[in-house]
Amino acid sequence: MTLIHHDFADQMDRFGGNTALECFNCGTCAAICPLIYEHFPRKMIRYLQLGAKDRILENAKELWRCLHCGLCSRTCPREADPGEVILGLKRYVVANWRKS
Amino acid sequence: MSSETKPEEKEEKVGVYICYCGGNISDHVDVEAVRDRVEKIPGVAVARTNMFMCSDPGQELIMEDLRDGIVDRVVVASCAPSLHEMTFRSAISRAGENPYIYEHANIREQVSWVHHGEQATDKATLLVSAATAKAVRLKPLEPIRVNAMSHATIIGGGIAGMRAAVDLADRGIEVALIEKSPFLGGQLALLDKLAPTREKASELVSHLASRVINHASIKVHSCTTVEHFEGYVGNFKVGIKKHPLESNAYKEKMKMLNPVHKSAEAFIPFAGVYSGPVPSAAEELVIDTGVIILATGIKSYTPYQGEYGYGEFPEVITLSDLIRNLAENNNGGSLLEINGRKIKSMAMIHCVGSRQIPGIHPEDASGHLNEYCSRTCCSALLNASNVIRETYPKTRVYEFYRDIRTYGRGQEELYEQASKNRVVFIRFESQEAPEVSKNGYSDEFPLLIKAKDILTFGEEVEVPVDLVVLATGVEPNEISKIVDMMKLPVGPDRFLLEVHPKLRPVELPVSGIFLAGTCQAPMDAGEACSGASGAAVKAAALLSRGYVELDPFVADVDIQKCNGTGACVEACLSDGALELVEMEIDGQKVQRAKVTPAFCLGCGACVAVCPENAIDVNGWTLKQYEAMVNAIVAE
Repeated sequence: MTLIHHDFADQMDRFGGNTALECFNCGTCAAICPLIYEHFPRKMIRYLQLGAKDRILENAKELWRCLHCGLCSRTCPREADPGEVILGLKRYVVANWRKS
Repeated sequence: MSSETKPEEKEEKVGVYICYCGGNISDHVDVEAVRDRVEKIPGVAVARTNMFMCSDPGQELIMEDLRDGIVDRVVVASCAPSLHEMTFRSAISRAGENPYIYEHANIREQVSWVHHGEQATDKATLLVSAATAKAVRLKPLEPIRVNAMSHATIIGGGIAGMRAAVDLADRGIEVALIEKSPFLGGQLALLDKLAPTREKASELVSHLASRVINHASIKVHSCTTVEHFEGYVGNFKVGIKKHPLESNAYKEKMKMLNPVHKSAEAFIPFAGVYSGPVPSAAEELVIDTGVIILATGIKSYTPYQGEYGYGEFPEVITLSDLIRNLAENNNGGSLLEINGRKIKSMAMIHCVGSRQIPGIHPEDASGHLNEYCSRTCCSALLNASNVIRETYPKTRVYEFYRDIRTYGRGQEELYEQASKNRVVFIRFESQEAPEVSKNGYSDEFPLLIKAKDILTFGEEVEVPVDLVVLATGVEPNEISKIVDMMKLPVGPDRFLLEVHPKLRPVELPVSGIFLAGTCQAPMDAGEACSGASGAAVKAAALLSRGYVELDPFVADVDIQKCNGTGACVEACLSDGALELVEMEIDGQKVQRAKVTPAFCLGCGACVAVCPENAIDVNGWTLKQYEAMVNAIVAE
């Protein structure tokens, strides 16, 4: 069960990568990502969209798989900038992982 | 019309025209063989073939033979008569002949599409022979011409009814606008900022209603219902009843009327435009009218007790409730406030009472399931979400949807805008609808919505909320009485059914009755106006000549043979089509059957029961049938 935290998207503003709500879940980023790993980065972006911060902290390790090649950001049809969102999530996790 | 005593011995000259239909017919029927065989039938003057008889050169073949006097009866063997009978009748008219000297043989749907080889050719020959035998006995007929009153009756005073009324009145046609409530504006008056432009519904309604009320050619009958209906195109009689306020259900809205409104045609929010004094006593009237436009509209779906917590939790409301709250409460804070509660987080649930699926959704009390999409709720909901996010930035909005259908111009942008406004979308499968329950985690948010979210790969999400808004769909208004009186076709979805969705989109099979707006299907206000203007144009075109022409295929009494048994009158299915009248024959007063052609359906029930064979249907006489049967069983 994933509990939704209403203010999460706003909290993310200070970490950068606040474009996740532009995403309409098409999956282009996951298809183009060279990691080919379990819907990465789409799933992470979805967790951010929802405000499922527990899920993000639980799966934080996945964020560090990202090579920052930029393919997802270049192909995103909504300019949601997934690469930048992943970077922002890394900053968030670094700032918060001890608290959880 | 040709005289009844036309000498039988005169040779009719039948022209037979057989179509290849570009292979549709000729791939299975040996068209040339059929031509060779029917050419030998007595009475056939000429038999020709063509690749496409309906083409201009094909029609020209027929017209030339008629002009040259080679033929005076025409048989075309081609597709179904529903497709091209009118085409060929009009070709005959253009050649200067009577269009009813025509008979159609269907050798495509009834032959080449279902039979093959030798048998197909044989059956085609039989059908053409039968048509030829009938053609020999065809008489020129004249269409029945009836006067049409330059008057239209419109049932329903919503946006569609008002639009049609103004359009017709501007064309110089008198209009009676019948509205059951004391207010004009219908469902549109219950809305506020319309998607996608946020135009005020009140401005649209006020603008049209003021034109309606002040138009010299429009008479508004408010608090009025339709009680009685008879007549035919051009000459309908509509019996109406005006109700005093005690007997109807608009007391709450009437309270909103202050003396200012009673004198002017001002808009009263969430009621409409008061169109004049409420009758003090019941009164019945009959309106003589040429055409009728139905604009009976829709109502909002009411969720059943417990549907997404509706009726169980006060925090669960409908989209209509929300729209009204948004319009009436403007607290100016950064949080939306509904019923005194500050809304930090709210859920919008799509498709409530729409796109219902048998086996998943329960039927309503009368066994109905709304399987259609209500079409307007997605845009209305997104519009409301955007207004909330832009006006109350601290209020979070979650939309739970099955599919987003922002189908119209400028409506997909609402979805884009909602994304920009940080509205969160959660998608569910129809069989796994979100559950609304009391929030067990904290007192901060009273309700919790659980949903299996497709967009999070089927993970269950829980959203704590202060408010749940149900995007209730629409249902057609209950008009079974009118449907029964006017014998109107109703679709399985309970909306009225037009003759053809593309070719005759605002017409009903009953000539002179038209459709406007949402009684036909869920529509937004713009589409309802398009439909209404279409119906108005069709109605005006019909009335413009001052008369209408009806097909002459109606019963005809042979006074010489009739001896007044009255069997035909008893058998007649159409009220008013047949009656016994007194007349004088050879100095004696006798009863004889008389047909009122405009009422006659041409069904032939009277022909079957007459012991004297004194009644026949023009264009389909017993003699013609006999000749057709003889042709089929010959040899």
